[in-house]
Amino acid sequence: MSTISLHDTHHDDHGHGHHHETFLTKYVFSQDHKMIAKQFLITGIIMAVIAMLLSILFRIQLAWPDKSFPLLETFLGKWAEGGRIKPDFFLALVTIHGTIMVFFVLTAGLSGTFSNLLIPLQIGARDMASPFLNMLSYWFFLTACLVMMGSFFTQTGPASAGWTIYPPLSAVPKAMPGSQIGMTLWLISMVLFVASSLMGGINYVSTILNMRTKGMDLWKMPLTIWALFLTAVLGILSFPVLVAGVVLLVFDRSFGTSFYLSDLVFGTQILPNEGGSPILWQHLFWFLGHPEVYIVIMPALGISSEIISVNARKPIFGYHAMVYSLMGITILSFIVWGHHMFVTGMNPLLGGVFMITTLIIAVPSAVKTFNYLATLWRGNIRFTPAMLFAIGLVSFFISGGLTGIFLGNASLDINLHDTYFVVAHFHLVMGSAAIFGMLAGVYHWFPKMFGRMMNPKLAYLHFWVTFICAYLVFFPLHFLGLDGVPRRYYAFTEFEFMNKWLTVNVFVTWSAIVAALAQVAFLFNFFYSIFRGKKAPQNPWDANTLEWTTPVEHLHGNWPGEIPTVYRWPYDYSKPGAEKDFIPQTVPFSQTMSSNLPHDFEGNEEAERIQKEWEAKNKPVQE
Amino acid sequence: MQQETVAFNFKPKKFVVWLFVVSSTIMFGGWTSYYLVFMASKGKGHGLVLPEVFTYSTGVLVLSSVCLFMAARALKNGDIGKQRMLLWLTFVLGIVFGVLQFQGWVGLYQTGAVLVNNNAAISMIYVVSGFHLLHILAGLAFVMASLIGSYKNVSPEVAAYRQDITSIFWHFIDILWIYLYVFLLLNS
Repeated sequence: MSTISLHDTHHDDHGHGHHHETFLTKYVFSQDHKMIAKQFLITGIIMAVIAMLLSILFRIQLAWPDKSFPLLETFLGKWAEGGRIKPDFFLALVTIHGTIMVFFVLTAGLSGTFSNLLIPLQIGARDMASPFLNMLSYWFFLTACLVMMGSFFTQTGPASAGWTIYPPLSAVPKAMPGSQIGMTLWLISMVLFVASSLMGGINYVSTILNMRTKGMDLWKMPLTIWALFLTAVLGILSFPVLVAGVVLLVFDRSFGTSFYLSDLVFGTQILPNEGGSPILWQHLFWFLGHPEVYIVIMPALGISSEIISVNARKPIFGYHAMVYSLMGITILSFIVWGHHMFVTGMNPLLGGVFMITTLIIAVPSAVKTFNYLATLWRGNIRFTPAMLFAIGLVSFFISGGLTGIFLGNASLDINLHDTYFVVAHFHLVMGSAAIFGMLAGVYHWFPKMFGRMMNPKLAYLHFWVTFICAYLVFFPLHFLGLDGVPRRYYAFTEFEFMNKWLTVNVFVTWSAIVAALAQVAFLFNFFYSIFRGKKAPQNPWDANTLEWTTPVEHLHGNWPGEIPTVYRWPYDYSKPGAEKDFIPQTVPFSQTMSSNLPHDFEGNEEAERIQKEWEAKNKPVQE
Repeated sequence: MQQETVAFNFKPKKFVVWLFVVSSTIMFGGWTSYYLVFMASKGKGHGLVLPEVFTYSTGVLVLSSVCLFMAARALKNGDIGKQRMLLWLTFVLGIVFGVLQFQGWVGLYQTGAVLVNNNAAISMIYVVSGFHLLHILAGLAFVMASLIGSYKNVSPEVAAYRQDITSIFWHFIDILWIYLYVFLLLNS
């Protein structure tokens, strides 16, 4: 298949591959970025399944608050006495669902997997800047997951203050059962997680800036790399602030300081803490928290840029605009955190500033959306599973993004704040969209990861059921929110005005259950194909990027012999005059004289002259 | 050939240390921003005269940085013995700094400005100086790694690399402390 011939070299200049690998160093404490990517992915998938099951549990409670399900008691014991989920456990479920999804699945599972897999492969490097730190990054992540899951096995249950763990609820251990040991474990887990993210992110940035192969200048990098790069930058700049906030929270909880606490009366007892402010937690948290949602979505956007271009057989529309809009989102994401805090009594002037910066983010986001659509427009589209999921991402990004304009508006937010409208908004725009980006990436790069193909029929089933059900789950929630139904409420039967939404909740829960069942198709497909899937060719999607020039069988160091040199950008699809509808990055312009365009030479006069001479000789003059 | 690959890997690794410096700066930035917002909204800072011993510890830390700078220069000139001696000096000064910081905390404690305090600005002094001291511990580990390298006669490239990252990190924590100290002096 491959039309690429690597220059044979007489010396084997990569120092790897000679040392003996044991099971432990190859599969467990691996320092090979490809293995670490698989570790991140499989851990991420397991965490996603857990978080999905948690969501089904609380959806059951929301749909049938008065009904008893004895089976629940069998599995959950005292958390569901009499077959009904307890209020405390309900809060724990929504908290841990959110935490797992945002941090463990869509940050580590998405960014961790694809940064590890694609950065060295797509920029042409043997491995990461520091493979050891990279390995540590995974083990910190896994430990964070285990600590978080461990909180389910404590007497008082997991953290329950919501994934944003606002004090004073999170800062006063006796405030509720979930604020006791569960909260402590949450904080420990999160510190480990941040350490993992930083080790990963620092590695990714250093690798991209220092270890690109010959010819791979920044403007020849695939958009996946741009997205993963800017995501890592965001992480490096924002996660430390979460640590700063968490440390102060730990001091408040465990040592009795008053960073976030003041004027609290507990029953008849006045708490000694004085002078702190819970709003300051919100500032520190959302200074991370808002960039975090872009940490979640940007890799997904990068992945779908690549997949849409490959499968539309067209160059990505507006490559530079795509990069600049990613940069715009990166910068703007640091000055919008206040839009999470419009109702904290913020100075209206400040609210206005945050509103304007927030609405400006619509510009780069819209640029990206229109570029996706323009890339699809009149493309020679191949509806591979990855392509369907990438298009699904665009759909969710649009429908969820539109409601962002409502929520970013300070005056509208007063009504919509903390309602199901917010839940609907972010589940579409960063939840579903990012998950679809991740799944698109899994389907697209599965052959690269495991050397085998996934079954497309099961993938189509998986896509359509998930896509439709995701809309059926999240779309109706907008209307609950517009009616003022607050999020995280345990039983809709307790409030007169919420009663009418019970039937909608039943519908949403059934949709969620069907969506969850559809994931079985994915899980079976994924794990079955690892062992029994059809053997993958070297370049199954006829793509241009460097990772498809590596052999199907993985080897430590990625390329046998020299690392290929890069001559062109990664999006030469369906170039007029070319023999095939794709020209890999490793093909020099001297081999594609019939398709070269003047701007390909970037002002290199010598090359332009040679091209002109060739054209005068070979090309028939156009009439 | 092998050596070339190794040498090639140093630049990205050194860059990793720089990125760590950036993220660490931001963590302390988070705390000092907390402090500023706290001060603006409550109309008060820590309101203390900081113990004099913090001035001495600052001096000691600056001196240690000078020693480390000279150690790096000695290595460049190929004077391993001098480098070793200056690294030891840096190490000892780092420990002296830690001891002085402890004395500073004791001083604060004796005047009643304790960690568990209804003035979060006072608690913040302990948090930032405490976390800075953790960085000093990490810095001492870097200095030790350089020292071990010089005793084990590692290759010149590895020795230069270790010296370089030690310098980056140690000068960073030196500047970081000066920033924190001046910040706390100005915003009392």
